[in-house]
Parts: sequence; C-alpha cells; structure tokens
Amino acid sequence: MNRKKWVAAITAVFFIVCAMAGSAAAVDEIRIGTIGPITGWATIFGQGCLNGIQLALEEYNNQFNGVPIKVFSEDTKADVEVMRTKLDSLKNRDKVHFIIGPSLGHEGMAAVDWGARNPEVPILIGYSAPEDITMRKATFSVVRPGWTGAQVIFNFGQYCAKDLGYKKIIIVGQDYSYPWDQAAGFIRGFLENGGEKVERIWHPVEAVDFSSIMARLMQMSKEYDAVLNNSGGAQVVAFFKQWKQFGLDKVYPQILGQANVPIVSMLSELGDSALGVYSSLHYYDGNPSQANQKFRESFNKKFGHYPDVIAVQGYDAVHVAFKAMKAINGQVDDPKKFITALRQVTMSADESPRGPFYFDKYANPVQNIYIKKVVKKDGRLMNEAVKTYTNVSQFGPYVDMADKYMAAPATTRDYPPGDKDAYFKEIEKYFGKDYVEKLKKNNGWVD
Amino acid sequence: MSLLVTMSLLNGLTLAALLFITASGLTLSFSLMRVVNLTHGALYMAGGFIGMSVIKVTGSWPMALLAGGGVMAVLALLEEKFLLRRARGNDLVETLISLSVAIIIGDLVLVIWGGYPRTIEIPAILSGIWTIPVIGLIYPVFRIFMLGLAIFIIVALWLFLKKTNLGITIRAGVDNFEMVAALGINVRRLFTIVFCLSGFLAGVAGVVGGTFMMLVVGEDWRILTLTLIVIIIGGMGSLGGTVAGALITGLVYSFATAYIPEFSLFILFLPVAVILSIRPHGLFGTKA
Amino acid sequence: MRLPFIPKSVLLVSCLALSVAVPWIASDYFVMMCIRVMYFGMLTLSLCFLAGELGVVSLMQASFFGISGYFIAILQTRYQIPFPIAPLVGVGVAVLFAALTGLLVIRVRGIYFLMLTLVLGQLVWALASQWASVTRGDSGITDIFAPVIFGISMEQSKGAFYLFQLVFFCGVIAFLAALKRSPFGLMLRGVRDSESRMAMLGYPVSLLRYMAFIFAAFVASIGGVFFAYFTGLINPHSVSLTTNVESLLSAILGGIQTLFGAVLGTAILKTLDLVLSGITQRYLLIMGILFLIVIMFAPKGAAGALKRLWDSIASRTSGGGPPAGGAAEDSFHEDTQ
Repeated sequence: MNRKKWVAAITAVFFIVCAMAGSAAAVDEIRIGTIGPITGWATIFGQGCLNGIQLALEEYNNQFNGVPIKVFSEDTKADVEVMRTKLDSLKNRDKVHFIIGPSLGHEGMAAVDWGARNPEVPILIGYSAPEDITMRKATFSVVRPGWTGAQVIFNFGQYCAKDLGYKKIIIVGQDYSYPWDQAAGFIRGFLENGGEKVERIWHPVEAVDFSSIMARLMQMSKEYDAVLNNSGGAQVVAFFKQWKQFGLDKVYPQILGQANVPIVSMLSELGDSALGVYSSLHYYDGNPSQANQKFRESFNKKFGHYPDVIAVQGYDAVHVAFKAMKAINGQVDDPKKFITALRQVTMSADESPRGPFYFDKYANPVQNIYIKKVVKKDGRLMNEAVKTYTNVSQFGPYVDMADKYMAAPATTRDYPPGDKDAYFKEIEKYFGKDYVEKLKKNNGWVD
Repeated sequence: MSLLVTMSLLNGLTLAALLFITASGLTLSFSLMRVVNLTHGALYMAGGFIGMSVIKVTGSWPMALLAGGGVMAVLALLEEKFLLRRARGNDLVETLISLSVAIIIGDLVLVIWGGYPRTIEIPAILSGIWTIPVIGLIYPVFRIFMLGLAIFIIVALWLFLKKTNLGITIRAGVDNFEMVAALGINVRRLFTIVFCLSGFLAGVAGVVGGTFMMLVVGEDWRILTLTLIVIIIGGMGSLGGTVAGALITGLVYSFATAYIPEFSLFILFLPVAVILSIRPHGLFGTKA
Repeated sequence: MRLPFIPKSVLLVSCLALSVAVPWIASDYFVMMCIRVMYFGMLTLSLCFLAGELGVVSLMQASFFGISGYFIAILQTRYQIPFPIAPLVGVGVAVLFAALTGLLVIRVRGIYFLMLTLVLGQLVWALASQWASVTRGDSGITDIFAPVIFGISMEQSKGAFYLFQLVFFCGVIAFLAALKRSPFGLMLRGVRDSESRMAMLGYPVSLLRYMAFIFAAFVASIGGVFFAYFTGLINPHSVSLTTNVESLLSAILGGIQTLFGAVLGTAILKTLDLVLSGITQRYLLIMGILFLIVIMFAPKGAAGALKRLWDSIASRTSGGGPPAGGAAEDSFHEDTQ
C-alpha cells in the first residue's frame, strides 16, 4: 500500500524532471520546420513535398551564405490535432525560423488558424489548396507559394465550354471541401462561358465501390456530354477501373480530371486508361522549360522516380525562402522583415519548374494555368499543355472584383448552383448586373 | 424495372459476393475459436498486395490467387501457433493480440509496397462486358465471375462442414468444445487448420478485391469494418448468417450509393444498429 | 531497511501541489504535453472505468468525446454561443446520446459488446463525415476560441488553460474514484464477476450497467470540451476508429483496470508519439509490437509492471513484508491503509 504511493510519487518526480529539460537552441544556424502527412494514408502528399524540399536544399548545399541549415521534419499523420501539437513544438522546442507545409486541405486551414495566433513564425504553405487560407482567413505570417483549388480550374471550365464545346457535364467527387472548391471553380468557368448545366454527384471520401455511380452515369449518358472525376488518390484508380469495366468509355468521351487525377504518381497505375484525359493545373510535367527538365532529372536521380506537382510545391517553397533570405541578408530572426521579403518574391520561368509567378496582396501566387492532356511520349505517359492562360490569380477572372468574390456565399457541396439560370440569378446578387451584361455581350470571359 | 434499379440490384449482389468471400474466413475462425480475428483486414490487404506482385512476375492471375491465399494461410498459422495459443481461453486478450498483429502487418505493407494506390489487372478472359440474356443488360464479366466464385465457396464450405469428417468435427467443436476434446480429438490441430483456412480465404478475397477495386494502405480497416458489419448482422458462427449479412449489406450499400451517395456510409451502419436492437446476436447468431 | 511511511494525505497534497506548480517550473512545451495528456486521458479514463468496473471494452468512447467537441464548435462558430453554455450543451447531448445507445449496449457482453460499440462508434463517425451541412464533413470546423474566465484568456495563456483544465481533470478523477469506492462501484464489480449471482441476489443488473455506461460517457465528453478549446478545431478524426483504438492502446499500455494506469498509459502513448515520429517513420510498427508485448507479457500494463518491480525491490529490502497485493488495484490511491 505504502509502496504504491511511492510509485506514484517517483513517477511524478520523473515527469517533472523531464519537464525541466528544456530545448536546445543552437546559435548561428537557420532552422527550417517541415510538416505534413509522412505516414498513414496521405503519405504521398507529405513525403512528396518533403522530397522536393530536400532536393532544393541540396542545390544550396544545405546552407545559406555559409550558415548551416537544420531541418526539423514533423509528421502530422494526417491528424490535425497532432499537427497543431507539432507546430507548437516546432515553434517552442525547436525554435524554427520558418515552417514549410502542410499538404492536406484541412491541415492547411488549421495551420492558418495557428499562424494567426502565432504570427512570429512564418508559414510557407505547401500543397494545401483551400482558398480561404489566402482569402477570408488570410493572415500576414502565412504565405502560400502554391495554389488554390478554384484557381487552377476556373479556366478549365471555360475551356470545356468554349474549346471542347460541352454543354452539360457531370462531376463525380469526394465529399469534402477541396473537391467542393474544385467543382465550384469549374462551374463558374463553365456556366459563364456557354455551358448549361453541371450535375454534382458526391460520394464518401473512402468510397469502396463505384458500381452504382457507374449505373447512374450510364443512365445519364443520353443527356450529358462528359464526366469529370473530382477525386484524388486511390479513389481515382478505382473509378477509372470501374469506368472501363462498365463500358462507360463507350458512351462518353475521355474522362475529365481534377488536379489530383493525372499526376505523375497516378499515371503509372492508371496506365493507358488515362490517355486523353484533360485536366488543368499550374504545373505540367511535360513542360520543356530548362527549369522543369533540370528539376525532373535531378529528382529522378535522387529518388528513383519522377516528381509530380506535390514535390514542386516543396521545391518552390525553398527557393522562395532563399530569395527572401538573400533580399534581407539572412536576417531570419526578424520575422516581420522576413515575411515582408517573402511576400515580395518573384520567380521567373527559368527559376521555377511551373513557370513564372509572383504573389498577390494575399500572398498567393499569380501564375500560369495550363490545360493539359495525357499523351504517350517515348513509351511513357505524361501531360502536355494544350492551352496556357497567363497571370491567373486565385480570384481568376474576378481579380478586379476580389472583394465581391470574397463576400459571396462560401462554397459548399451545392453552392454555387449548377444550373445556368439559377447560377446567373445568384451572381447578379454579388457580382452585379453589369457583370452579367458584360458576360452576355462578350460571350464569356475575355482574356 | 428501371435501369438504375436493375443495376443496383446486380451491383448489390456482386458486392455481397465480395463481402461474403471476405467475411467467410472471419466467421469460420470465430465459430470455432470464439476470437474475433481483427487481423483479418490486414490479411486481406497483404494478400492482395502479394497477389499483385506475383502477377507482375508471373502474369498469371490464378497464381496470384493461390499465392495471396497461401502466404496468408502461413501468416495465420504463425499467428495462431505462436501468439494466440498462449492466450487460449481469454477472448479479450486474443482479440487484442490480433489487433496488434493487424497494426504490425499494416505498417509492414506500407514499408514493402509504399503508400501509392495499386491495382491488379483483370485477367483477359474475365474482362469486358457481357449482355445478360432475357434482361438484355450489359454488365461487367468480372463481377459476374465474383458472384460465381462466392457461390462456389458457399457450396464448398457447406459441403465441407456438413459432409466431411473434419467438417462435422468442427461443427461439434462449435457446439460443444469440451466434449470433443474429451473424445480424444486433437482440438489444437483443428484450431490451426481452421485458422489457416480463414487466412487463406482472406488472402484470396484480397486478390479478388484488389482486382475489382484497388489496393491501398488503409483498405485493411475499411474492409475489416465492412466484414464486421456483415458478421454482426448475420450472427457470428453461422454460414447462412454470413450469407444473409453479406446480402443485406451489399444491397443496402448499392442502393444507397445509387440514390443518396452522400449518406451511403451512414446508411451502411444503420441496419446493424436496427438489427442489433431487435436481435443482439445477429439474425442467425446463437448466444453461445 | 524499512520504507519511510507517508500518510496518504501528504502524498495527495504534494502531488497536487506539484501539478499546480507545473506552469511555473516547466517549459511551455511540457505544459502543452500535459494538457494533451489530460484531455486524452479523460477519454482513456472513461474506457478504463468501464473495463475495470464492468469488465467490458468499449470502442465508442471517442463518440462522446467528439460529440461535445462538435457541439461546442457548432454553437460557438455558427451561433456565437459562449462558454459556459456551449460546453454544457455539448456534454448534455453526449450524455443523452449515451442514454440512447446505452439501451442497445447493455444487452450484450464480452466480444459482442466490443463489436457493437465499434459499429456504433463508426456510425457516429459516418454521420460526422457525411452530414456536411452541419459538421462541414471531413474538413471539420476550425476557429474555436478558448473562453475568457475571470478576465484571464485561456487562449493566450497556456498556463491558465492548464490550470483551468486541471481543476476538471482532478474533479473527474475524484468522481471516478468515489464511484469505485462507493457501494455502486461494489455492485458494478459484482456484476463484472458474476452477473447471474447478482441478478439472483436481486440487484438491478441492467440498470447498473446502464448507469456505468452513462457515467463513463460523461467523463469522455468533458475531455472533448478541452480538446475542442485547446486545439481550436474538431473533425471526424476525433470520433474515428483510430482515436478509439489509440485510447484502447493507452489503456493497455498503462493498465486497463486502474485509473492511474489510464493516465500513465495516455502519457506514455502521447510522449512516444512525439518522440518516435522525430526519429523514425515506423511509428505504427513499433507501437504494434509494443502493444503485443504488453498484452502478452504485462497484461496489467505499465502501472502493473511498475508495481511489480517496486514490490520485488521492497520485499527484498524489507526482509519479507506483506505479499504483493492481488486484484485490489481499485483506486487511484488505496482506500485502506
């Protein structure tokens, strides 16, 4: 009985002693924190970004102007509570100068939340795409050298309506905010440029069996022109497989894909069933630019496989950080100065594998958006650009009405409406009658 | 009947087939050993990945089936012999052991095959679509094959359990364990055989599922949850119950996904809650 | 050599004093770890209470944890309803849900109990994940702010949040310990050991199990309140199978039958979590193996192992004192001297 109390007492003392062991803070080094889902189901989104970061750091020999760089790599395990803890420990225990990451949508939203409460540690958002991170929730210390879900797809909707001539489209997607954003962006581009209807079918994120959806798609094939697969990861593989199994490739033209569909890592699994798939993104692996070729080859050399856009984010983030550090002579311990420099960085087509970009006032890039198509070159599947839209901001065509865009109702799984008349009635409310008139007059957007 | 209804019916039946193939192993091990083998999902996934690798090397789908099933049978053997046996009689500890083995296997699969989703090519003779006579509906051949395979396994298991000596002994063991042991039958060996068989079925299911859908880390827990639903609805330890559970689950899921896909997951769990509130041990389960 | 004798009250007070002193003597990082251990600890405590008193393993305690969190999130971010109404509603709804599911759950035992709670927990998860109009689906709800109490912002000061939570944490432990010690606890353990005998003796077995289930849910829901306030967010992961299994792992590691084990196990798991992930990617593999070893060789968990170790040291040095206690590990501190 007595002993038990001693057990408790000693355990308590043990923990107290651990508590007092503070953190080691070295001097004269630049500490970078990386955060993302390294283990678990989302590992490709975390590990890919980390690979890009490591590759870029190697190009600088892991040092800046002679000052060594130390990387603290943390794993969120795709769990936001864990991420929050790790962000705290990166700040308090490791005392990092800035953080690169995270990758997933909900991680990003929680990260910008944390960033607002911890403004002394700049965060360079990696792959996370929810637009609010650099719109309604934007905060000074959070810079995103990445993209938003809607940014890369506005023009795709436009392309499908104008260039491909589709009138009615079905979007089948995973039911959470990132695909909602993609669908919304697509709808805006599609309906404002001649499209008539978009029908959205949502399924659980971890859907096991698409056969019933395939049945529905088959039934709708008489009325609709094409199908857009709005998912990522394993669901894409299953979808493509069952698409062919049910003979849907005979009633619809090629599948349209959202950003995560024909990425390099997917192509090897999808095989030839991915040929001809259209999608849009701020990066395409077939880009013949020097910057991209060098990036791809050195990545392949280091990691044994070719990179996709996820790695580009990590890679670009490091380069942006270094450019900013150069501008302020390495004074990363002055957060305000550092963040201001970060927000002013511009990258040319020779410096980034994606092409040129600069930051808008919300610290999201203004960049090229490529409409790409999957082709086979030298026996390998890759994406080629069929059209390029330059200087696209996260507000897309609404860049001159940014406030109105942000004041519009938030995107949900049903908003904005997919029917042309209902949609136009809605946008009249916040974009104004003049805008609608202009659309009708110009038959859509003017480049 | 409208196209959607017919399709959903067929989809439900074929999904039920896959669910049954997956659940049959679990129900077998539970009926005799009273342990819910939570490793089952991991065995499914690992079996599928092994099958995928075997196909990459040999190009033969039947080989993949055998390899996936075979290796999982061996793993099940090891698990039973070295781990579960030590905790004989303590249900909870056995279940927890199987849980930890599931976690271990899950991570090993990630190490060996990585986190990217993979898939197994449908063998040429089973691919393509078929026009079903009378209804005139076109439907993927592979799914019809799955239905056939499930029926084959049902019949085979039924014959095994009802007609062979081994099967009869197993059923006796289910009903009265002590008596069978007292009669001098090597119950230990019986356990091991049953466990191996359940592992084999899990591996085969993994290869079939990987061909029909996909293989990815995380699939183990999804499949385990589905399998548990099937078994809970049907009642553990009953072959007929498993068939019923698979049918209910498959049909409900298919119709839900066709008409209200946003709520399909929730709809999936609802029958379980309903059935369990009326019959806590499943439709055909016994309290033992 | 005799062990010095400490009166129980002195030990209790000094533990308490140490706990209160933490924000001043320890680093910010450690305070954060303690906060996490406390809210997850309450989840584990609720599981251990059911396992210890009723002998059943529930894999749905995270549902109650998450329900209170979700209600705080929804009420605060959408309707601007502040503390203390939001958490009261959250806990209330969680308890209500326990009252509902309890009706189903009390009808089964053993492995069926585990499986039923697993499925019910998944039902809640599916709802949280799919009812996007209310829960925002898999994206979850962010922007939850911790309350301002007596003019001190729990949001700004980690130390203040820690103390605020400590009050409730101690309260929960005292509550559970009191339950265990009370006639109610005695009856529960009677049901655990032999339900038929208790029924024969005229005890309302079903009612006892029902009450125990509700009390456990209550404890878990309080943990959820602090989870939501500290992390500032909630999403379906909080009610997922993973969270439930992690609380089970914590319980096994620490010792599933005691309250001390619950907290110790949570501390071990969460610390290992952070420490390991900095070193290796094979976190899951290591945890799985650890779990296996503990189940097979140390079924009473770390608390049991510590006790055994201590007993063996003590018996050697004090020349054969009273033998190591049997199954009398029923409270955080012993009830008899």
